[in-house]
Amino acid sequence: MRPSARTTLDNRKVLTLILAGAFLWGLLQVEWSRGVFHAGGLAAFGDLLSSIGRPEVSDGIVGLAFREAWRTVAYAVSGLTIALFIGFPIGVIGSGILTGNRWLKALNVGWARFVLAFFRSIHELVWAWLFVATFGLSPMAAVLAIGIPYGGILGRVYAELLQDVPEAPLKALRSAGASEWRVFWHGRLPMASPDILSYTFYRLECGIRAAAVMGFVGLGGLGHQIQLALQDLAYERIWTFMAFLVVLIVLVDIWSSMVRRRVTA
Amino acid sequence: MATLPIPGTALVLDGAGKRYGDVEAVAPLSLTVERGDAVAVLGPSGAGKSTLLMLIAGEIQPSSGRVAVEGRDLATIAPGRELARLVGMIHQQFDLVPNLSALQNVLAGRLGEWGFLKSLVSLASPRDRGLGIGALERVGIDGHAQLRASRLSGGEQQRVAIARLLVQDPRVVLADEPVASLDPARAEQVLGILLHVTRDSGKTLVASMHSVALARKYFRRLIGLRNGSLQFDRPGDEVSEEMLRDLYSLEGLRREA
Repeated sequence: MRPSARTTLDNRKVLTLILAGAFLWGLLQVEWSRGVFHAGGLAAFGDLLSSIGRPEVSDGIVGLAFREAWRTVAYAVSGLTIALFIGFPIGVIGSGILTGNRWLKALNVGWARFVLAFFRSIHELVWAWLFVATFGLSPMAAVLAIGIPYGGILGRVYAELLQDVPEAPLKALRSAGASEWRVFWHGRLPMASPDILSYTFYRLECGIRAAAVMGFVGLGGLGHQIQLALQDLAYERIWTFMAFLVVLIVLVDIWSSMVRRRVTA
Repeated sequence: MATLPIPGTALVLDGAGKRYGDVEAVAPLSLTVERGDAVAVLGPSGAGKSTLLMLIAGEIQPSSGRVAVEGRDLATIAPGRELARLVGMIHQQFDLVPNLSALQNVLAGRLGEWGFLKSLVSLASPRDRGLGIGALERVGIDGHAQLRASRLSGGEQQRVAIARLLVQDPRVVLADEPVASLDPARAEQVLGILLHVTRDSGKTLVASMHSVALARKYFRRLIGLRNGSLQFDRPGDEVSEEMLRDLYSLEGLRREA
């Protein structure tokens, strides 16, 4: 017998209650009476907001912003390349689609999923600290810090996308005598590729944000400049770098939809 | 050029049946089909038509008896290239890879024959292109070779599936309600093409059919299946209205599996 619809519905209500309770409890933990802002915090925030319309555009700053934006993009793209080399093969193994034998499949799926989970359970900033400790303040540290956790994320998502393609075309290929490897290249991958591409581009976008943040551990890029400007209380300069960051994200978005249109049209 | 079928038997079912637990999907039945013949399997939903086709396709193994294609017991042949040379199947629809071109889909019929490297190269630049275009010409849509399968109409997609089967070149072609999801005019056109190209290349055709009228019009031999057992097996003009009424009667019909 399958579980009755009634029990699942009740379970869902209980879960909703628990989650709502946790949320309310969280709100109560904030000491509203003592003030959320520290002394002078509101004033600083006001200064920051009021300078939003007049970013600093002196030659030196714009040139610096271009150089740092380039560095940020380079970190993101190199990091994502490493992520692809990790995520694609391990994701394919972790999806279990190529292994016929049941025990071998369980083993392969097991280790691949574990490796992917390990890579992505540690945040890129933590990886960055670890690699700065290992390599010093070198670009290598930033690239690996993005590549490894992103590899874990890509691998997991790829595995699911490759599993979720419609079965009928795959069956047709098998009955035409194709081995699982060929079914993969001629059926699964083409069918999953629009989603794989679009997710990878989304991750490139996240990679640019992450690369900017690498600045906060001293690895340079737009984030580093934002941090320096903040320390100098040079709010106008902050907005220059912010603007570059936004433009980068928008450009990736445009590129992504151009590529996607070509694949799905 | 029309190749005349070499006289002989293409398909033998010898007490072949399939049982799932208590349900006899197909009761043990025996029949033979001559090379080049075209047979339609009729019957209400749940009668076991698809199971019968899957048995002949070697997709499932019979729980009793045996199935032989071109004299070879299917139980001794593992799925893969060898089986693909004996039998090929067309389904109702939706079995093309939607974002590959019609030509790529047709050439997938060669995947069993190609080496792995050749199959990879073919993704970038199709191999055996002439063969694929030739097959598309035979089903009359070579003009659409470069179009994505998802851009084609239902009837065109079925024609691509037929072309893929031509390229696969099996001895026996199976079709599981190949035109059930097409409008009447298209259904007739696609069925005509299917019969024409299989007869032309001397292949044997076994198709389960939804429409009695189309089956009568295009197939020489009709097989009636009800509750998993054989009701009749005769030339189309010997099947009476009464036999059909009995075949589809709701009375005593088992529930759909």
